[in-house]
Amino acid sequence: MSLCPKERLLRVLRKESVDRPPVICTGGMMNAAIVEIMQKTGHTLPEAHFDSGLMAELAQDVQGHTGFENFGVPFCMTVEAEILGSQIDHGTLACEPKIVREPYPSVRDVVIGNAAAQVNSGRVQTVVDASRRIARANSDVPVIASLTGPISTAASVVDPMTFYKELRKDPSGAHRVLEHVTLVLAAFAEKLITEGGATVIAVGDPSATGEILGPVMFEEYALRYLNQLADRIHALGAPFIIHICGDVKRVRPQLAQLRSDALSTDAMVNLSALKAEYPHLTTMGNLSTYALQWSTPEKITQMTENLIRDEIDIISPACGLSTSTSTDRIRAMTATVKASREGMA
Amino acid sequence: MPETLDTLAQSLSDAVVNMDEERTRELAIAVVDLGLNPLAAIERGLVDGMNRAGKLFETEEYFIPELLLCSDAMYAGLEVLRPHLPNASEVKKHKIVIGVVEGDTHDIGKNLVKILLDAAGYEVVDLGRDIEPKRFVETAIREGARVIALSTLMTTTMDAMADVVRLLAEGNLRDRFKVIVGGGPISQAFADRIGADGYAASAPAAVKLVQRLITEPA
Repeated sequence: MSLCPKERLLRVLRKESVDRPPVICTGGMMNAAIVEIMQKTGHTLPEAHFDSGLMAELAQDVQGHTGFENFGVPFCMTVEAEILGSQIDHGTLACEPKIVREPYPSVRDVVIGNAAAQVNSGRVQTVVDASRRIARANSDVPVIASLTGPISTAASVVDPMTFYKELRKDPSGAHRVLEHVTLVLAAFAEKLITEGGATVIAVGDPSATGEILGPVMFEEYALRYLNQLADRIHALGAPFIIHICGDVKRVRPQLAQLRSDALSTDAMVNLSALKAEYPHLTTMGNLSTYALQWSTPEKITQMTENLIRDEIDIISPACGLSTSTSTDRIRAMTATVKASREGMA
Repeated sequence: MPETLDTLAQSLSDAVVNMDEERTRELAIAVVDLGLNPLAAIERGLVDGMNRAGKLFETEEYFIPELLLCSDAMYAGLEVLRPHLPNASEVKKHKIVIGVVEGDTHDIGKNLVKILLDAAGYEVVDLGRDIEPKRFVETAIREGARVIALSTLMTTTMDAMADVVRLLAEGNLRDRFKVIVGGGPISQAFADRIGADGYAASAPAAVKLVQRLITEPA
């Protein structure tokens, strides 16, 4: 069985058999727009954050130079917060964009706008157009469009110190904001799927880890809104990948309830143990990005082989990549996966 | 109900652990009104409560929202009691310069470390977030700090931590300060690689790290 990368990824996400795991890098929080590639091609950040043609070129450069079996857009986690009123510093070649200032001191102050109007502003259309350009030019390789998760977006709009306290002190206020943020994310996802032709939607929610929230609040807020988002994306006919940062040991039962088609985790998580405990999970990950930056290609090859041996369903970096990572390290990872064909079909 | 320093300190400690900012403020006012020792009320009440909260955080009974609410209660009590401290009780404390490195604005982790260092009796100079390397060095020199604490959440800004260490080395200042690092993508291996003196995986662990480094010979 020889599958094209798009079919292989879609089959894994549908829990169907494949010849080998796909090796991907979603974009968004976990993008691979490293300095080496941008310097080689001249398609650079921060410019590509604003120009759909350049964003599409850069996503294709990244795919070509790394060997990842997907295209990933965008290259930041600030598109969502920007349309909700946050002031953004768009970063540099080597440093991703960040929130300069959250517009609201408290959840009580958040002005709930119109989600449909909000996704017609900012850089939403840039990302949608970039996705469409890539999808039109490449039918065999999937386009993964990445969103910033509900809690991380909310904590980029409301002062995060206050926001975390209000999860306990003002649950109705926090839910009011998160309901709206989730609507905006779903509307963004809808544009990416219907207009942008994105194959898969991925979400990373680094402000919503089990370590930050604990199991009770992870369930009340993270699980609830990620699942709302999952249901809306599934209703649009697209698969959904969720990445959960940090150590997950206190929230394993909650992770098992996430309605995503694959669950990606950070490097410290033993994915094969998680899968043994919850066999219905499709696991994704989790090659240390520290190793990707600093280890030798031989060591990276060995670590990748371990992930394949452990039957991790989708091989991927475990976290955001340092922009000073080099392509020979990443290629050691992707080539190892592509060379493996161990009779899984 | 007759209030003694002992019962009030215990109540203060409980109010901090219970995240009850209003109650903490009322109890602190009672300490002042009764003419009781404000320093003892701080140490045996507020700081004790924050230490208990830190332990609950370490054992994963409390998480970040709870710890932040406890610290709000502690600071509310401190605001009442500090003006009543006699000047003579101002003991000289070790100073720590802390901040989020250039390029990053995520400061929850840094703030937690600052809160627990405050509670542990250190004087913390908080530079805030998105701080360029030379400001860490200049501030540490000016303040006579013993420790420089660097935080980041983003993988694309980790390398700015190495810049601080390099700047200290270039100024022949490396031995004057202990440099500690922490944050989501940081590890002991990264700390070793950039030549930092220590790494801590959590805010309570950062306090223990500082305590250990400060008692080490320079």
